[in-house]
Amino acid sequence: MPVKSSEITPEKVYNRRRVLIAAGLGVLAVPLLDKGYGVLQQKQVEEHQPLSQVSSQPNVQSLPLEPTPYDTITGYNNYYEFGYSKDDPVKAAKTLITSPWSVEVSGEGADKPGIYDIAEIKGEHAIENHLYRFRCVEAWSMVIPWNGIKLADIIKAAAPNSKAKFVRFTTLNDPKQMPNAGWAGGPYVEGLTIDEAMNPLTLLATGIYDKPLEQQNGAPIRLVVPWKYGFKYAKSIVKIELVEHMPETTWWLQNKREYGFYANVNPQFDHPRWTQATERVVGELGRKPTLLYNGYAEQVAHMYPDLDNRLYFY
Amino acid sequence: MAVRLFPLSLSLPLSTRKHLVNIGLCVGLIWGSYNAIIGPDLVSELRDFTGRYGAYLLLISLLFTPLSKRFNWVKRNLSMRRNIGVWGFIYAAVHLLIWITLEFYYDWELMLDEIAGNLFILLGILAFILLLPLAITSNHRALKRFGYRKWQMLHTLTYIAAPAVIAHHFMAQKSDTLEPLLMGLVLVLVLVWRYRNAR
Repeated sequence: MPVKSSEITPEKVYNRRRVLIAAGLGVLAVPLLDKGYGVLQQKQVEEHQPLSQVSSQPNVQSLPLEPTPYDTITGYNNYYEFGYSKDDPVKAAKTLITSPWSVEVSGEGADKPGIYDIAEIKGEHAIENHLYRFRCVEAWSMVIPWNGIKLADIIKAAAPNSKAKFVRFTTLNDPKQMPNAGWAGGPYVEGLTIDEAMNPLTLLATGIYDKPLEQQNGAPIRLVVPWKYGFKYAKSIVKIELVEHMPETTWWLQNKREYGFYANVNPQFDHPRWTQATERVVGELGRKPTLLYNGYAEQVAHMYPDLDNRLYFY
Repeated sequence: MAVRLFPLSLSLPLSTRKHLVNIGLCVGLIWGSYNAIIGPDLVSELRDFTGRYGAYLLLISLLFTPLSKRFNWVKRNLSMRRNIGVWGFIYAAVHLLIWITLEFYYDWELMLDEIAGNLFILLGILAFILLLPLAITSNHRALKRFGYRKWQMLHTLTYIAAPAVIAHHFMAQKSDTLEPLLMGLVLVLVLVWRYRNAR
C-alpha cells in the first residue's frame, strides 16, 4: 500500500520521538539509580542522624485498642514459605503439620539445653493474654489478641550463662510441607538481644482469640515483639539458640540496606522506599499516625539509650 | 505469516470483538472488586489488583504495533489497542481513586507527605498525569481535531508514562520483583523496537 505524503513523518519529528523514547528508558532506570544511591548511602545510614520531636509523641497507651477481626488476622498474612501474596498462606498453609512438634533450646549460652514438646511448653508455663498492636514494615497494622507464654520463661529454664548475649530463632523449612520453602536460601532466621528476649512484652504465642494458632499465623509457636516490625516475629519456630554473636537474620541478608537487626518501629525513620510515619489499619478506612516503638516506649525505650542511632530503627 | 490463534474471532466482525473485549474488562473490574470485598482487606486488594492489571493493559496496548508487523491476527485487531489502552487508564484511575478515598480518606496533607517521602508514589502520579490527556483524546473526534500528526505526537507521551508505571510497580514491591522485572524487560524490548523503527 503506498504511503500518503501526509503520513510521512518529518525527520525532526521522529528525532523528537527518539528523544522521548530514550527518556522513557531513563525513567525505567530510576529504580536502579535509587538502589545505587542507597548503596552509596549505606555508610551514612550507619552513622548517627539527629532526631527532633521524639518526646512530643502523644501518649496513647491509655486509648482502648479494638482487636482486628479473627478472619482478617487469619486471612491476610505474610508467610513467604507458603507464597508471596497475602492470601497465599491461608490457602496453602494447611499442609503444615503442627503436631507432633518440638522446639530445640540450645546454643553456647544455654547451660541446660533441651528439646521440648509443644504440649510440654504449653503445659509448663503460664499462658497469658495480651492485646498488642502489630505493625508491619510495609506500613499496615492490626491489633491482635495473643495467647502465649513469656519468652523469658523458656530462656530462664535453659539456664543462660555469660555467653547468652543474643537469641537466635529458626523457623521450620520443609519443602514437603511448605510449597515455597527456602525462598531465602535457607530457613527463616530471626534474632533478639538477650535484653529484648527477656522483656516482659516478648511472647512466644501459641494462640489468637483463645484459639490455637492457625498455620498461616505461624502455628504452633511464634515470636511476638510488639515494638518491632512484623518481620521480626519468627513463625513456626523449631529452634531457639542462646548465642554470643548477633545472628545474621533472614531479611537483613536479603537486603542489608532496608531490613536491620533491631527493626524497632519509629515513625521518624523512613524505610528507604516508603515513609513509616503513618500506617493503614487493615480492614479500616484511612490511615493513622505510627507511634514510636509502636506505642510501647514506656516498656522498651530503656533498652535503646541512643535514640539518634539509626541502627536501632531499620 | 498468518497465525490462526483465534479462529473464532475471524467469524465475528471487528466491532463485536471490541464489544467483547470491553465487556470482558468491565466484568474483570467488577469480579476483582467482588473478590476484594469478600476478602480480608478490601483497600489493599482493590488498590493492588487495579494497579497491577492497569499496568498489564497498558503494556499490552504498547505491544500491538510491534506485534502487528509480525502477526496478521494482531494486525486485523490493531484498532483494539485503543480500547485496551483506555481500559488500562480506567483501571489506573480506579487505582488512584482507591488510594485517595479508601486509603487516605481525603487527607490531602497526609497524601502530600506520602508523595514527598515515596519516590514510587511520585512516579505513579506522574504516570497518571501523563496518561490523562491520552485517555481524553482516545477517540475519533479528538484525532480528527488535532490531525493525525499532532495527535500521534501527543500519544508518544506513553513512552514516558509506561516506564513510570513499571518503575512504580517495581519499587512498590518488598522483595518479590520478578513480575515487574519481566514487565520491564518487555517494555525495554518495545521501546528499543520503537526507537529503531521511529519514522
